[in-house]
Amino acid sequence: MTMRTDAPLKTSGAARYGLDVTPPGTVYGYVVTSTIAHGEITAMDVAAVRAAPGVLAVYTPFDPLPLRTPMSPLLGETWVPLQDTEVTYYGQPVGFVVAETFEQARDAALLVEVTYDRRPARTSLHAGLADALDAPPSLHGEPPTLQVLADGVESIEDALAASAVRVDATYETATQNHAAMEPHSAVAVWEDGRLTLYSGTQGSDLQAAQLAQALDVEPARVRALNPFVGGAFGGKGHAGVSAFLGAAAARDLGRPVKAALTREQVFTATATRPATVQRLRIGADADGRLTALAHDSWSSTTATPSFVEPTSHGTSREWYTTPNLAITQKMVPLHVPPTTFMRAPGEAPGSFALESAMDELAVALGMDPVELRLRNSSIAPPGRDLQWSSKHLDECFTLGAQRFGWAQRHRRRVDRDWLVGYGTATAMFPALRFPCAVRITLRPDDTAEVATSGADPGTGLRTVLSLFGAEALAIPPERVEAALGDSTLPPGGMSGGSTATASVGSAIAVGAPAVIDALVAVATGPGGLFEGREVAYADGRVFAEGDSATFGEVLRAAGRDEVTAIGTSAPGEEMTKHSFSSFGAQFCEVRVHRWTREVRMSRMLGVFDAGRIVHEQAARSQIMGGMIWGVSAALHEGLEIEESGRPANGDFASYLIPVNADIPTVDVEFVRYPDTLHNPVGARGLGEISVVGVAAAIANAVYDATGIRVRRIPIVLEDLLE
Amino acid sequence: MRAFELTAPTTLDEALTSGATALAGGTTLVDLMKLDVLTPPRVVDINALPLRGIEVDPAGDLRIGALERMSAVAAHPQVYPVISRALLLSASQQLRNMASIGGNLMQRTRCGYFRDVAMPCNRRDPGSGCPAIEGANRMHAVLGTSDACVATHASDLAVALVALDARIELVSTQGGRSVALADFYRLPGDTPEREHDLRPGELIGEIVVPRLDWAARSTYVKVRDRQSYEFALCSVAVALDVRDGRVADVRIAAGGVGTVPWRLTAVEAALRGGPADEAAFEAAAQVAADGARPLSHNGYKTALLPRTVVRALLEVSRG
Amino acid sequence: MDITLEVNGETRHLSIDPRVTLLDALRERLGITGPKKGCDRGQCGACTVHVDGRPVLACLTLAATVREPVRTVEGLAADGRPHPVQQAFAEQDALQCGFCTSGQVMSAVAAVEQEVADVREFMSGNLCRCAAYPNIVAAVEQARSTKESADARV
Ligand SMILES: Cc1cc2nc3c(=O)[nH]c(=O)nc-3n(C[C@H](O)[C@H](O)[C@H](O)COP(=O)(O)OP(=O)(O)OC[C@H]3O[C@@H](n4cnc5c(N)ncnc54)[C@H](O)[C@@H]3O)c2cc1C
Ligand code: SF4
Ligand code: FES
Ligand code: FES
Repeated sequence: MTMRTDAPLKTSGAARYGLDVTPPGTVYGYVVTSTIAHGEITAMDVAAVRAAPGVLAVYTPFDPLPLRTPMSPLLGETWVPLQDTEVTYYGQPVGFVVAETFEQARDAALLVEVTYDRRPARTSLHAGLADALDAPPSLHGEPPTLQVLADGVESIEDALAASAVRVDATYETATQNHAAMEPHSAVAVWEDGRLTLYSGTQGSDLQAAQLAQALDVEPARVRALNPFVGGAFGGKGHAGVSAFLGAAAARDLGRPVKAALTREQVFTATATRPATVQRLRIGADADGRLTALAHDSWSSTTATPSFVEPTSHGTSREWYTTPNLAITQKMVPLHVPPTTFMRAPGEAPGSFALESAMDELAVALGMDPVELRLRNSSIAPPGRDLQWSSKHLDECFTLGAQRFGWAQRHRRRVDRDWLVGYGTATAMFPALRFPCAVRITLRPDDTAEVATSGADPGTGLRTVLSLFGAEALAIPPERVEAALGDSTLPPGGMSGGSTATASVGSAIAVGAPAVIDALVAVATGPGGLFEGREVAYADGRVFAEGDSATFGEVLRAAGRDEVTAIGTSAPGEEMTKHSFSSFGAQFCEVRVHRWTREVRMSRMLGVFDAGRIVHEQAARSQIMGGMIWGVSAALHEGLEIEESGRPANGDFASYLIPVNADIPTVDVEFVRYPDTLHNPVGARGLGEISVVGVAAAIANAVYDATGIRVRRIPIVLEDLLE
Repeated sequence: MRAFELTAPTTLDEALTSGATALAGGTTLVDLMKLDVLTPPRVVDINALPLRGIEVDPAGDLRIGALERMSAVAAHPQVYPVISRALLLSASQQLRNMASIGGNLMQRTRCGYFRDVAMPCNRRDPGSGCPAIEGANRMHAVLGTSDACVATHASDLAVALVALDARIELVSTQGGRSVALADFYRLPGDTPEREHDLRPGELIGEIVVPRLDWAARSTYVKVRDRQSYEFALCSVAVALDVRDGRVADVRIAAGGVGTVPWRLTAVEAALRGGPADEAAFEAAAQVAADGARPLSHNGYKTALLPRTVVRALLEVSRG
Repeated sequence: MDITLEVNGETRHLSIDPRVTLLDALRERLGITGPKKGCDRGQCGACTVHVDGRPVLACLTLAATVREPVRTVEGLAADGRPHPVQQAFAEQDALQCGFCTSGQVMSAVAAVEQEVADVREFMSGNLCRCAAYPNIVAAVEQARSTKESADARV
């Protein structure tokens, strides 16, 4: 097993992230944000700012940098700052100060005086529930409200009423911020009308395209680089304000501009996962077979509706077999920071509700929650004919239950002053692929390069590229160099949706035979080492009868610097034949202090069916990280938005994410069934599924420990003080 | 951070006459200067001053120089467990390596409105109002509050020191004076901006913890949303002297609940002479939150405080 | 003002504004970009460096007040070989995006040197949003046993 290929760079400080670049002559930009949530800016007094030492420029809606709204097929529109005087959320970028040094820019920015015409702000999801709007159609193109009813059943209410056992409960999840450790930032350099942008994002080609549109320059004149990305999690898909303002200001000033959001600004001036309210009604027969499932969801969204957290479509729509299903998805437009996808969008908060409700059902039935889930496992999403391509969820549960000691859960468990509880939940996440192109190059020194513009924000894609390349070319991974994070490379799309491994794997599976064909052509062509002969390729060598040579030798003999081919792939036919998902079973043990009631994790196990596991160590790390994200959602993080729209806890001291001491040993296991119906390499992606279900498993364990059902996350100790 | 002048004198006299704001570890000062909450025109780096040393004097009192780092104090073998624990449960190891204990006692509240100059705050800007009273106040105080301010004092160390009746020695060009730490901090009342009794031109020179042999049996319990690197929702410092199963003497103070470190004398009185068992602890703790004035989101603290007292007493009595 | 910093064994002279933090001096003036700015408020640990051999937060340290030698993650390797803690981080996959890693490594070096009893608590001043925590603990443990066997050999 090779280690993550960039580990030596990352552990030595040599990996260069966006902000680590400081071209000669760099000046510093600092963003100014709004202090109201809704209204209009009537004036901005920047005289004192301009007079401050070192200040080079102040940009405001009254003196803006020209930027056009970019539009991309994948992301839709991306908001560009300072183009009008409307304020629609607290902490919206409204100004940009550029000075010779960071200190000068930061301190001059304090002097900006903004005058607002305030308007009432809608900031409460609860207050908006009554007049919520229908959400746009789901990812699958399904309407927000849909029903699947058995023959002869008139309504979901009838089906529920006819059920022997019923659960009806409402759950809530908090607004969250991706809070990647690397704040959104950019260094922009113009040379001869060409822009080079260093900025950590989820896709360099998307970034370049958005910047080119915004700045109104030819796409070929923008190069975006992000060889290292300090975490993304969905929050670095859209190009950010630092990139837009930095690039535009650099053009205006003729100097390289470096700009980063402060940590506080990241909480508002990027985007968030919406808050949700979800009502679950489940009916079952006495044996625990579901007879009806209704999942009504409300999500916050921006004042002009944008991303909506698809909680019911992401979970109840697909997870269990039920003859009667009804789901709704509503949205409540609010004056809150932008909303966008965040690790397991829909599934993560949706599973908190569904899997808590399933636990409540198990309690009502007096049934083992594992058994309840096994009994209702689906072979296809309800009402759809396309069966799951490869589903081993049952095995995840049985293996997990055994490994975790689930059978012990009935013992009364108190450990000194700590009440101990066990919980479990299902995890599912759709298996997707995005269009992707990868260039494979064979070089005369017997090394190969595998290159795509995609990003590795910690997922291990760089390592996976080398491994897939090595496998496809049948050479050792040490001889395969990966290149990524550069928009001039073939388009690798976005790191997101847990798609990258399957997407690049598919593209390499196409590109490798092509480059081998090209090599063979060189070997057998005029002047080739094996001119005119029959040859075959194996293990990095070209074999002719009684003779062989490495590909490097072949290239050297022909005087070639390289042979290269580009493999492309896109989701195709498979989508018409099967449904695709990854699956998992989450188990956890929590402790609740008998007196002071704080909840601490003591053990976690996740067992996953994610197809083929390509790089064991990176896969485990991804899964572990995701499970800890689940802990964070369950017990720690939530952006609290005040009535005024101001975030009450927008910094790292009060927006809590777990620290090392919060995290116990995390056990990860895989059932390994390559899913070649999905893609040729059989890997389904696992960046997101690991988050799913964890928060419910924890809430279920808290119930097991205390008898108190908490239906809102994050769970805080006051929820458990009787 | 507004531009400022920085000096680094090596003698006390120079520092005391400088009229500048003292910089020790900088973990409060630099932070709040970046946020524009503090805007001193002149800053004096006091780290070269002779305010160091951790020692037990001939009378048996523990004397700690104000510039000693939190990590050094926590690790010192002659420091009472309640002080070490309070320090070790504070901040992070990096911050404890930087922060001085004098600075720790002088740290400012963590109230989010205080830290945000876009918001009103009576403590930072007298008369501007207190948004916490109607706003995000889950972390705020229930004891010692006023209509002007409800912010907690955030130091864990101060809670332990108040429990042990510590005094601070203040130095100035006029000579020195000694103040009980409990008297040093002021309740907000109508003047929350006046947090303490330090006069212009004074520095904290030393912290003196009077000899208390039985405080070898003491501890600090800190309840928070995450296990580490966070301020207290509620904390309790306790020293307990048990003889023949009965409470001979006890000291208790609480943090995270008061606008100043909160000594629980009524609980101490209820415990003294009684049995050292769970039932007695629970009964005595009932008065811990007497007089509490809960706000919209921090009412739980009135329930949490007595429970934290019981937990701390149980932990210390088990040894 | 003119200051002198000793960073990773080299003496560096700088002329800076007193407002400049050690972190910004290292990153923006000296090109030492291993230490990262995750919050600039002492709330994340990404900027952890050693001053006089002890981990501190460079973002809350004014550069002009630093008198003792500074060591950053770039200064750990000896004779071109990674420090045992760096090696252990790589082998245990104690990182994902790597943005917190420089700070984690500096704290971990101190954890090993100080032979701390509670590694998880000691490492809690370094947030990792990728949540590599269990592997970080494993790396500290690996480095510690490397050190112990090295000590035993001496
Ligand atoms: C992220 C974070 C988490 C934290 N968590 C905790 C926690 O859990 N518990 C806790 O108790 N604290 C916590 N703290 C606060 C920290 O302990 C204090 O910031 C620190 O103790 C202050 O000491 P310093 O030497 O750095 O003070 P400085 O920042 O140098 O000074 C602070 C103030 O004290 C004044 N001052 C300093 N020394 C003296 C003196 N000798 N005489 C008079 N005035 C003086 C200064 O002028 C300044 O006004 C945390 C801080 C941070 C940033
Ligand atoms: S509680 Fe005190 S510190 Fe906080 S806003 Fe009110 S007055 Fe300011
Ligand atoms: S950048 Fe210094 S602690 Fe976060
Ligand atoms: S590795 Fe990404 S934040 Fe730690």
